[in-house]
Amino acid sequence: MRIYLLSRLGQTLLVVFLSLTAVFFLVRLGGDPVLLFLPMDIQAKDVNEFRQRLGFNDPLAVQYARFVAGATRGDFGESLRYKRSALALVLERLPATGALAGTALGLTFVLAVPVGILSAVRRGSLVDYLGMGGTLLGQAIPGFWLGLMMIYVFSVRLGWLPTGGTGGPAHYVMPSLVLAAFYAARTARLTRSAVLETLNEEYVLAARAKGLAERVVIGKHALKNSAIPIVTLAGLETGQLLGGAVITETIFAWPGVGRLTVQALLNRDFPVVLAAVFVISVTYTLINFGVDLLYGWLDPRTRVVAPA
Amino acid sequence: MLRRHGLGLLGLTLTLVAVAIAVGAPLLTSHDPLAGDFAASLRPPGSPGHPLGTDQLGRDLLARVLYGARIALFIGLCTVAVTAVVGGLVGLVAGFFGGWPGTVLMRLADVQLSFPFILLALTINAIVGLGLRNIILSLSAAGWVVYARVVRGEVLSVRQREYVQAAAALGTGGSRLLFRHVLPNVAPSIVIVASLQFSQFIVAEAAISFLGFGVQPPTPAWGSMLSESRDFLYVAWWLAACPGAALALTALGINLVGDWLRDVLDPKLRI
Amino acid sequence: MRLWRSVVPVVLALAAALPTPAQDRPRTKEVVVAFAAEPRTLLPDTIVDWTTNDQVEHMYDRLVDRDPKTYKPAPMLATGWKVVNDTTWEFTLRQGVRFHNGEPFTAASVKATMDYIKDPANKTHYLPRWALVKEVQVVNDYTVRFVTEKPWPGLIDRMAATDFLPMPPKALKEQGVPALSAKPIGTGPFKFVQWVRDERLVLERNPDYWQGAPDVSRVTFRFIPEFSARLAALLAGEIDIMKDVPPHAVEAVDRSGKARVRATVSSRINYLALVNLKPGPMQDLRVRKAIHHAVNVDELIQQVLKSRASKMCGPLSPLNVDYSPKVECLKHDPSRAQALLKEAGIDPAKLTLALDTPSGRYPLDKDVSLAIAAQLQRLGIKVNVVVNEWGTHLDKIKNRTTGDMFFLGWGPALDAQGTIEQLFQGSQTYSSYGGNKVIDDKIAQAVTIVDPKRRVEAWAELQQLVAAEVPWVFLWQQHDLYGVANWIDWTPRADEKVWMYEAKITPR
Repeated sequence: MRIYLLSRLGQTLLVVFLSLTAVFFLVRLGGDPVLLFLPMDIQAKDVNEFRQRLGFNDPLAVQYARFVAGATRGDFGESLRYKRSALALVLERLPATGALAGTALGLTFVLAVPVGILSAVRRGSLVDYLGMGGTLLGQAIPGFWLGLMMIYVFSVRLGWLPTGGTGGPAHYVMPSLVLAAFYAARTARLTRSAVLETLNEEYVLAARAKGLAERVVIGKHALKNSAIPIVTLAGLETGQLLGGAVITETIFAWPGVGRLTVQALLNRDFPVVLAAVFVISVTYTLINFGVDLLYGWLDPRTRVVAPA
Repeated sequence: MLRRHGLGLLGLTLTLVAVAIAVGAPLLTSHDPLAGDFAASLRPPGSPGHPLGTDQLGRDLLARVLYGARIALFIGLCTVAVTAVVGGLVGLVAGFFGGWPGTVLMRLADVQLSFPFILLALTINAIVGLGLRNIILSLSAAGWVVYARVVRGEVLSVRQREYVQAAAALGTGGSRLLFRHVLPNVAPSIVIVASLQFSQFIVAEAAISFLGFGVQPPTPAWGSMLSESRDFLYVAWWLAACPGAALALTALGINLVGDWLRDVLDPKLRI
Repeated sequence: MRLWRSVVPVVLALAAALPTPAQDRPRTKEVVVAFAAEPRTLLPDTIVDWTTNDQVEHMYDRLVDRDPKTYKPAPMLATGWKVVNDTTWEFTLRQGVRFHNGEPFTAASVKATMDYIKDPANKTHYLPRWALVKEVQVVNDYTVRFVTEKPWPGLIDRMAATDFLPMPPKALKEQGVPALSAKPIGTGPFKFVQWVRDERLVLERNPDYWQGAPDVSRVTFRFIPEFSARLAALLAGEIDIMKDVPPHAVEAVDRSGKARVRATVSSRINYLALVNLKPGPMQDLRVRKAIHHAVNVDELIQQVLKSRASKMCGPLSPLNVDYSPKVECLKHDPSRAQALLKEAGIDPAKLTLALDTPSGRYPLDKDVSLAIAAQLQRLGIKVNVVVNEWGTHLDKIKNRTTGDMFFLGWGPALDAQGTIEQLFQGSQTYSSYGGNKVIDDKIAQAVTIVDPKRRVEAWAELQQLVAAEVPWVFLWQQHDLYGVANWIDWTPRADEKVWMYEAKITPR
């Protein structure tokens, strides 16, 4: 077990390091980071002076070495735009994103898993049709459009919900629904196919043959065994959920990491972009590590299996 | 029959309609989607000569929506082609040869997976710039991983099968083994992934346009039209509704087809 | 199944809380202003950024204001000023003003502020802007002198912009810069209460403000990046003031019964640069003139901007203090355009031009660019419109890699130097036109003239010279459209400041 943990840790570090390196060079292929945060009446020599002072005139290798040296100490430098620690800027916004993504994930499961199970159990019925058709529609509608329409209907027209920002539970409703819409579709479909598959397994057939109630057959046997692929998907989806948060947070003025990252990209605020990549990839790998541990609970056979 | 394949047939119909519109756009409207008379801007649907009305520059909305089908299918086809080839090859190589190249390739895929798709596409667009070609590039760069993972998984399981192992034991060469036995077995997965990714790319274009990196005007891409319609949300609902409906129906149609293909070809595939 | 048991109650609880109506805020005298972004810092004199300064200036005063009607410099923390000699300005300071922490405002504060700006360790954007100032001399508690390296008549315009906000010297010294950035201490009409990152900045009335306490008891700035969401928040009554209502949405706001649109002519100008800093047809004055004649500015204003802009004929707007009314307009005249192109030996049917434009930076910028392309198309000229993301647009202008034309806005532009010196010399960062020795020399001369009358004449002559060179298609001054809640009495300003000290609340 200890070897397993160590190897997982090593892999995690490697993945995070590679992500950071890739993004470091990617963003530097783009334009000049200095212009965007300086006033427009700036003289060419002053532009150069700012660039010099910030180290953007150094060779790329030197900049990279400096970045790695800083990053290993948890120092991603100062935001070009806000003149504050880039990592602090990102971490400040992590709780908001976590709360939103968590709610959305919960909502996804509450909406999608029952739909998936029902669709599987009543395969070919109207429920299956509506469930699957509806979830596919959820994947076909761009999130920002859905968000703007919801704001129009529920905030401007009906006045039921706030248009954006944080506050009470009411503030969570629209952003988490919009964020969940897309993922709910995928989760529902996966649940359906996973349950369908287990329903044909021998032990389920055997349980049925024994005359156990349908509820017990499905609840106890089919579902627990379908849980593994669903949980795996949830782990993989968290990264994408953070991506969806970029749009949701922008529309609903949610003070989260996604909105900060996209602003930083637009403003070429490299230290913030890198700090965000760091936080996102660490979060992602931690969640997937958690998912792996969950496997052990769901399926004892995988508990001692060496790292995949 | 209809019970089992109903949704699939609906999807096929929607998809075929979209394809027909894309091919026959010039026959369906006499308007130029790019040229407008801005004295006749923001006409509501049903105006003489403009069944769906006009946009802020007086361009015929019907023409833009119809020609938009071309752009949408073009984006979808190009990105799916690029990602399927690149991702499929990576998956094949990683699965078939394994060893350190396989490990490295799959680590690479992991690195990419740890980064949200939209953010990666945005980062790339921020560097290479805007426009149709660049958005295809960025979507492709962000989208190949799914194929790589699915194909690798399939290859690994095919390799375990008895007849493949038998063929290998009989001295069948590597490339022959790959093309005779492995490729035909993973092809269905590629087709399914492709059809499900297709609509995702079309929807992703809209998201990227929304964030300011989309297909460049005046090209009539549905996503960019939708994103532009925000300026006129409270005055010209048709600018949001028409491309929105076209986009959703097309994506839905292709999704249904993909789903149907999965049900028929490989119900166990999970993506 | 355990998962189920824990998730279901949470969701039910959430669902029960759902239909909470967006509650009407207790409408005391609180005003909520929505901006697209939060301030980049709360330190004054540090970052040049419109949104940042707009918020910072609610807490910090300037030495010199601008008269809201004439836009000429007017007293604020300085009650008067005079030119002592070519390189020395003397300012008399207001007495009895206190910072929010009780510290008195004196000459020491002015000196400490300049010292802060001049210290490279503070990395402020204002350092190059004040490079010409050699030192600040404290004459007595209420008199200071700015000594410059060389004659700098533009100092007073700089002072009247947001470029010098006095800081509290004692707090700066004892608490340090980070403390001041966490909790601003100014002399302004509002005091800092709270800043929730990316969410809101809350300020409260300063009852002891030297100009009298503001009518508004509390100002909350909310940060809503997406403009259609901002508009929705205004229509839903969640926010009270927003900037940049799209011209087409004016009616929707006015109809809403919650708010109405207040418009003002802005000092920000929009233009289409005809780039002569790179090879191409725009090197030829006749071609530039032809393009100007071919573009129908009135039609653009009417049809695309719904008349929400004021046409300009030269490089400066009539709001500019140095504006000269003598500059003549180039009329829309397609046949003159044809003739000029013919003279230049160019067949319009074979001419292809590229036009770079940002999207969403200025009102309907991209649509205006497409409309200009359509107008030029009427002469047979093919125009490829290239839409850039903002950062790329700036890069291209700076590196002179745009097409033959580009669209840009400039402002707030209230003095000639800030526009003409910046945009018509090849050596400047964002210029599109240059290489004209006469203009270069005249600019170099004009910026050093101290005598007000001669200065006005020099800038007037330059406006004529520049206009004759047709470096731009002169377009218009933007109209700034603000959505303002019905119960707030507030008149927008030409300098784009959302200055809540001037707002009056009508009791409801």
